Amino acid sequence: MESRTSRRWAAFRQFLRTRSPYRTVLLLATAATLLLLVVNLTTFFMIQRIADDNAQVDHTQEVRTTAREVLAWLLDAETSQRSFLLTGRADYLTNYERAAEILPERLNALVGLTLDNPEQNARAETIRDLAEDRVAVLETAMDMARAGRNADALAVVRRGQGSELMVQLRDEISVLDTQERNLLRRRTDQSEDTSRSTVYINAAAGLLMLILATMSFIILRRFIGELAEARDEVAAANASLEQKVKERTGALSRANEEIQRFAYIVSHDLRAPLVNVMGYTSELEQAGKTIDLQMAKVETAQPDLVEQDALVAVREDVPEAIGFIRASTEKMDRLINAILKLSREGRKTLTPETLDMTGLCQKIADSVQHQTSEADAEIQVADLPTIESDRLAIEQIFGNLIDNAVKYLDRDRPGLITVGGRETAGGWVEYEVTDNGRGISDRDHERIFELFRRSGRQDRPGEGLGLAFVRNSVRRLGGTIDIESELGKGSTFRLKFPKRLVLASGEEFQ
Amino acid sequence: MTNNPVKIVMVEDDHGHAKLIEKNIRRANIANEIAHFDDGGSALDYLFSPEVRANGPLLILLDLNLPDMSGTDILAKVKGDERLRRAPVVVLTTTDDKVEIQRCYDLGCNVYITKPVDYESFAGAIRQLGLFLSVMQSPDID
Repeated sequence: MESRTSRRWAAFRQFLRTRSPYRTVLLLATAATLLLLVVNLTTFFMIQRIADDNAQVDHTQEVRTTAREVLAWLLDAETSQRSFLLTGRADYLTNYERAAEILPERLNALVGLTLDNPEQNARAETIRDLAEDRVAVLETAMDMARAGRNADALAVVRRGQGSELMVQLRDEISVLDTQERNLLRRRTDQSEDTSRSTVYINAAAGLLMLILATMSFIILRRFIGELAEARDEVAAANASLEQKVKERTGALSRANEEIQRFAYIVSHDLRAPLVNVMGYTSELEQAGKTIDLQMAKVETAQPDLVEQDALVAVREDVPEAIGFIRASTEKMDRLINAILKLSREGRKTLTPETLDMTGLCQKIADSVQHQTSEADAEIQVADLPTIESDRLAIEQIFGNLIDNAVKYLDRDRPGLITVGGRETAGGWVEYEVTDNGRGISDRDHERIFELFRRSGRQDRPGEGLGLAFVRNSVRRLGGTIDIESELGKGSTFRLKFPKRLVLASGEEFQ
Repeated sequence: MTNNPVKIVMVEDDHGHAKLIEKNIRRANIANEIAHFDDGGSALDYLFSPEVRANGPLLILLDLNLPDMSGTDILAKVKGDERLRRAPVVVLTTTDDKVEIQRCYDLGCNVYITKPVDYESFAGAIRQLGLFLSVMQSPDID
């Protein structure tokens, strides 16, 4: 798991190091994602800032309103007090009392609201002080009026202290208001700037992303175009490859056919002169016998006429010569027949069918029962996997191998011949025929598969055909045959066949 | 058969074989006239000459491996001729390929004999062919 992860990382690093359309597109996509993230963050902060700015704007408005309220309540209080002083009617005092009640709270609020701005705060405190002073002056007059000292009260008013305070207050509030208005304008500008920046940043990011997307699109389109071209090329290459394989296979099977035909023709043309050699040898033999009879007649009639040499020639030399000619011709005939048989095997039509190999080999083993019991030998056939192949060819192959195993057993020990097999990966089956017989020396391992070649002591009848046929048949069935053998220990023939025989199209000729 | 005996036409390029065949036919006491041709062309010329077509019953002994043409071509021509096709044809050749044998019978050959290398059986076969000829009724060609 660990190594797999590290392998994946290594592969990823390799991918990043290698220039490829995938990498470019990935990088572009990453850039676009990062850009989007930046835009998101910026927008988030901008919105936050706009919210802040809006809060500030509200705040400024509140400060201004509060300041105006303070002024309004003071004016109310003043008007109310004066009305009372003029009329003496207590009901005019309602507004004064309410102002006296509300003003401290409003003043404190004003101071509290300006805590963020020291300059304005100082101004607010001045306003509070002035307002409190003004209220105190009003209160003094009111106290006098309540006590019935109306004239004193009017004197206080007349002294003009209150008016002065009010003038100062108005100035201060006006300044405060102007200040706040400036602030407000600045903040509104700032807020607009922020909004504008957000729009610009978004637009720029959008444009950038559009560019990235266009680049990705162009790269991908080019890449897909290249892929399509490459695919077409591969398809074309495949098509031509298939064509080539077909041509080669055709040429090969034609060549094979020609070799078979050649072997066939050669063997027939070799046979024709052999018919003559045999025929005229017989004629010579007949003639020799006729001469011999004649000589015998002459010998009895006139013995002195007969040369001893002529008698030897007719009775010994000629029959001996004829014997050798006949033996050689017969051998030649057998060899020609072997080539003919081999060429015929190669031309036989193969018909694949599913074969019960265990049964098939057991049957072969039973057919050599006589020889095995004579040789004190045993044939063990294991459970073999089935194969889909040509029955006759397979029977001949295993028949030959088992025959050979029995034929070349070592008489010094009890013979044991085993047939085993298994299925292997890739749709193949393997079989092996093992014996504990004489074995074959290393240098003959290839030779024994050649036509007319034999190995070891030549004390068994045979032409050296069996294994040549076996290898020929195995190859026709698309298989291979190998030998493992040690002289004096035994041999193992290993066969490997495709599980299902597929006929080449050239195989259908007869 | 009495006044117009069967004439044997032998087409065989190998003189040795021809001689052996003839010897063995004679040994079987067949005295019919044997006309020997060692190539397909001259054999066809002879077979298709007016006097041969007009006269007498024939028996053709045919080898398949000829220098100028295949024996099967001769067989096809003979069996394609409305008069000659009645003549029995004995194919006597080295080939024992079953496709070739089938082809010859398909073309109308009457007997197919493989020349064995074993001389005794060869001589035996020819002698039996001779015996066969002596009892065989050959159709008149006309």
